[in-house]
Amino acid sequence: MLHLAKVAFLSKYKCSCPVRFCNIFWSLSLSFLEYIVAFNGYFTAKARSDFISSALRDVDAVNWRIVRRDNPASDYPSDFEVVEIRQDARSSLLTLQDHPYIKRVTPQRMVLRSLKLTDSGTDGASPCNDTRWVQKWQSWQSSRPLRRTSLSLGSGFWHATGRHSSRRLLRAIPRHVAQILQADVLWQMGHTGSGVKVAVFDTGLSEKHPHFKNVKERTNWTNEKTLDDGLGHGTFVAGVIASMRECQGFAPDSELHIFRVFTNNQVSYTSWFLDAFNYAILKKIDVLNLSIGGPDFMDHPFVDKVWELTANKVIMVSAIGNDGPLYGTLNNPADQMDVIGVGGIDFEDNIARFSSRGMTTWVRSHAGCQASTCLSMASESLSMLVFCLSSTVLNRELVNPASMKQALIASARRLPGVNMFEQGHGKLDLLRAYQILNSYKPQASLSPSYIDLTECPYMWPYCSQPIYYGGMPTIVNVTILNGMGVTGRIVDKPIWQPYLPQNGDYVDVAVSYSPVLWPWAGYLAVSISVAKKAASWEGVAQGHVMVTVASPAENDVSNSGEMTSTVKLPVKVKIVPTPPRSKRILWDQYHNLRYPPGYFPRDNLRMKNDPLDWNGDHIHTNFRDMYQHLRSMGYFVEVLGAPITCFDASQYGTLLMVDSEEEYFPEEITKLRRDIDNGLSLIIFSDWYNTSVMRKVKFYDENTRQWWMPDTGGANVPALNDLISVWGMAFSDGLYEGDFTMADHDMYYASGCSIARFPEDGIVIAQTLKDQGTRHLLFNLMMIIIISVGNHLYRYSKVLEAHLGDPKPRPLPACPHLSWAKPQPLNETAPRSVHMRPLPFSTTALSVETNLNWDALSLNISLLVLKSFCCLIFLWYSKPWYTIIQKFGLSKI
Amino acid sequence: TVSTKILRKKRAELSYLHHSLQQTSTNESLTAEERTIHDRTLLEVRDSDHHIQWKVQFILGNSSRQISQCRNSIQGKILLTDELGYVCERKDLLVNGCCNVNAPSSSQYVCKSCLANGCCSVYEYCVSCCLQPDKQPLLEHFLNRAAEGLQNLFTAVEDHFELCLAKCRTSSQSVQHENTYRNPQAKYCYGESPPELLPI
Repeated sequence: MLHLAKVAFLSKYKCSCPVRFCNIFWSLSLSFLEYIVAFNGYFTAKARSDFISSALRDVDAVNWRIVRRDNPASDYPSDFEVVEIRQDARSSLLTLQDHPYIKRVTPQRMVLRSLKLTDSGTDGASPCNDTRWVQKWQSWQSSRPLRRTSLSLGSGFWHATGRHSSRRLLRAIPRHVAQILQADVLWQMGHTGSGVKVAVFDTGLSEKHPHFKNVKERTNWTNEKTLDDGLGHGTFVAGVIASMRECQGFAPDSELHIFRVFTNNQVSYTSWFLDAFNYAILKKIDVLNLSIGGPDFMDHPFVDKVWELTANKVIMVSAIGNDGPLYGTLNNPADQMDVIGVGGIDFEDNIARFSSRGMTTWVRSHAGCQASTCLSMASESLSMLVFCLSSTVLNRELVNPASMKQALIASARRLPGVNMFEQGHGKLDLLRAYQILNSYKPQASLSPSYIDLTECPYMWPYCSQPIYYGGMPTIVNVTILNGMGVTGRIVDKPIWQPYLPQNGDYVDVAVSYSPVLWPWAGYLAVSISVAKKAASWEGVAQGHVMVTVASPAENDVSNSGEMTSTVKLPVKVKIVPTPPRSKRILWDQYHNLRYPPGYFPRDNLRMKNDPLDWNGDHIHTNFRDMYQHLRSMGYFVEVLGAPITCFDASQYGTLLMVDSEEEYFPEEITKLRRDIDNGLSLIIFSDWYNTSVMRKVKFYDENTRQWWMPDTGGANVPALNDLISVWGMAFSDGLYEGDFTMADHDMYYASGCSIARFPEDGIVIAQTLKDQGTRHLLFNLMMIIIISVGNHLYRYSKVLEAHLGDPKPRPLPACPHLSWAKPQPLNETAPRSVHMRPLPFSTTALSVETNLNWDALSLNISLLVLKSFCCLIFLWYSKPWYTIIQKFGLSKI
Repeated sequence: TVSTKILRKKRAELSYLHHSLQQTSTNESLTAEERTIHDRTLLEVRDSDHHIQWKVQFILGNSSRQISQCRNSIQGKILLTDELGYVCERKDLLVNGCCNVNAPSSSQYVCKSCLANGCCSVYEYCVSCCLQPDKQPLLEHFLNRAAEGLQNLFTAVEDHFELCLAKCRTSSQSVQHENTYRNPQAKYCYGESPPELLPI
């Protein structure tokens, strides 16, 4: 038996409840009769059977058989078969190995993971609320993936793609204590969650677990015919929620409904969730805990279903995922406005490194725990707190997904030194939430509750660059939470009221908003710009946006009219004179695409465990370092969210295009040529684009049950070549990597192409690098028979027509036009502290479009250091032919 | 050095290749998909002995019964359907949960937006249409043949209204490839068949 990992819960304090240890054992054994026959390619079951039969035609038929594998992959061609050989195994193996289509034959191995809870008796007498759970993981040394699906054999790449493209279960180990979250105080008041129906969506619950006297029912939604939890995840989750009071559970009297939606192999499908959610609605569940997350926010059936649940007053609590520490990496469904998302912080209030960044409520988790273990824990703790809270409220009618979220947000304490996209609403404060909920009057609230573009670091990235006349408008996405009813509307229009004594009239504001607030929430997109009269003014300006929300008054007997609630959104900005053209850089965001919806592979091919580029590229997320560097050098960086035809090139020094996946409108190409002639500089970070590699990185997605093939390479090089061909330049379809040094900077070039063509009189700085293309083909990925999807770029593109065949561009869309709100000036001053109650901050998507720009010459070196995995950079300066051009991957032109 | 021309040509070839692959693969994947739906969500019982024990109480007789409190469909953005089959706008909902039958927006047993296969674009109309007394045989037929995958849900349903609320919701039968609706326009079905499968 191989003992690969051990998890132990250790009681740090003396405690009267039993201390329990959880051990994970791994055992690896050879299955003597079974052999894996690997083929040279992917074949149907019949073809595989024929090959084996012909190879074994001299062996007695009773001595061997093909082992049936019944799984969702059986419908698809496979590159291996499991064969049981009873006698004469050795000679049979030799004949098998001689077959031309058989690559190799290896013994079948069986890996067993067992999770064992052991009691180690009791000692001491202090109350159990003091129990702290410490968890120790020894990392598993093997590179082989833990879960084995038939098709994942021998391919870590494969396994990883399945995991990342589908929703996944986050392993949970209890480590929180009711006391830290002050739940014990609520217990002393007699609130133990009685009468609240809680649904746990997980791997089920083991039947004989002693704690689960509260379990009302267990249902199975998977294709495994069992209700039992073979994995242990669901049992832990349920335990945290409702185990006995003497130990560490939080809502001991709640009524538990256990939904088994994950198999023991941690497999799940959207369709199982849809059916299970319908049942939860029928059963009038109050709080639903979901410790899963996946990147697919474009999964409409799932997203719609979550809305439907909340609209039926189910309060949904969801983990936000383990994809931190990148920005904008919230997982669905925790990113939905109507869902309460939970992340993890440690006892020092640092956000756990593994936690996705986004706007949420953070629950304490223990320092030192590992990614993928902590998160779902946090969500269970919050679920349980949420029903605990629900049961304490005297007027149950007032508890709904919006009011619960409002109470949690309004009571949360802000973490110091962390920006709002990372910390969300801050740290949970249960007692304050309880007080707020018990004196709650139905109302609307905003999240964030104010916009202070000068406040750092909380309002990063907004606070990192002042605004100026002529810049791209700064857009702040605000969530409106409406506790008055499942539907609501904004009365008339939001009003912009500048404070005259505080130069509010130097600011122009435009507001767009949801036509209907449903379910329980909507958005308010506030675009902020500088008025022309402040073009050379410097200072701080303030005002507020006022919104009135109305909902049908359902509970009001006397009046069948509407309830209304008016909220103000204070706005504070720093204005500077418009910077000179040479200091302004425009980042092209419009031509970046990402997964979902299409499959765009990672820019760095070495990152095989997460091949989908689902974080996209953005100057404020994965290019944050570059942004900060440019800012520190005095450049202003703006983001272009519209076609190239939509900006005035005479205002900008440089256009920056990084890893663009999108195609270009013919009008854009023409306009860019004219802009360059008129003195605009252009910097392109291209990436790789190699069709044979693209075919190699194709994979079968277990969640959508279809093949995914990249829609472009790391960048859309053919489209870029169309764009730059007029200057006699082209990128190649090569693929290179390696280290190099430039001006004393050591740099790593991760995956990228080379320059194929360049004008004779241009300057090329070249470096010879390793040819990754040929090596990549040698990777033992999957040998692929092309059986399915083709290039679907047209499906996701804003530029191409949505049909097959020759790609044709759509008509060029109109440039965005903002209609500025007519100001209603107030002759008053803002309250001294704009920093009001840290009210609702919800999980709206990070949508930042600020004004920003630079001077090509001084930049080139540092830029390289900042972003080393680009394919190549070339910039030209005023006139294309006298340019600095840098190139790697080709030693000569 | 590869010229742009060659790249362009390669790209054109690739797109042609994809095109032809797409056409062959669509057919294959559709059949595989259909099979998956039948196998896994088990629209119909395979085993004729295995009927689910449904307990739905249909109310016989006329629909003009008087009740003092109504359950309704709760979730609607604009519309609601009450248990008597009236659809109305939220503003015309009475305090007792029933639609105000005198309001101009209210009407009973509305099948607006519903197709011949029993699938509708609007959830509230689906529920209202499903509540029509003449839909009862269809629903009974469905319940008798409803398969294991849907058993949890339909054995827990207690009356005609709950059945219609549950039946009209999108479910495992509404999707293809797990992340796309079979028919995004008409996805709420009171009828027996799943929504018509539209190509993506």
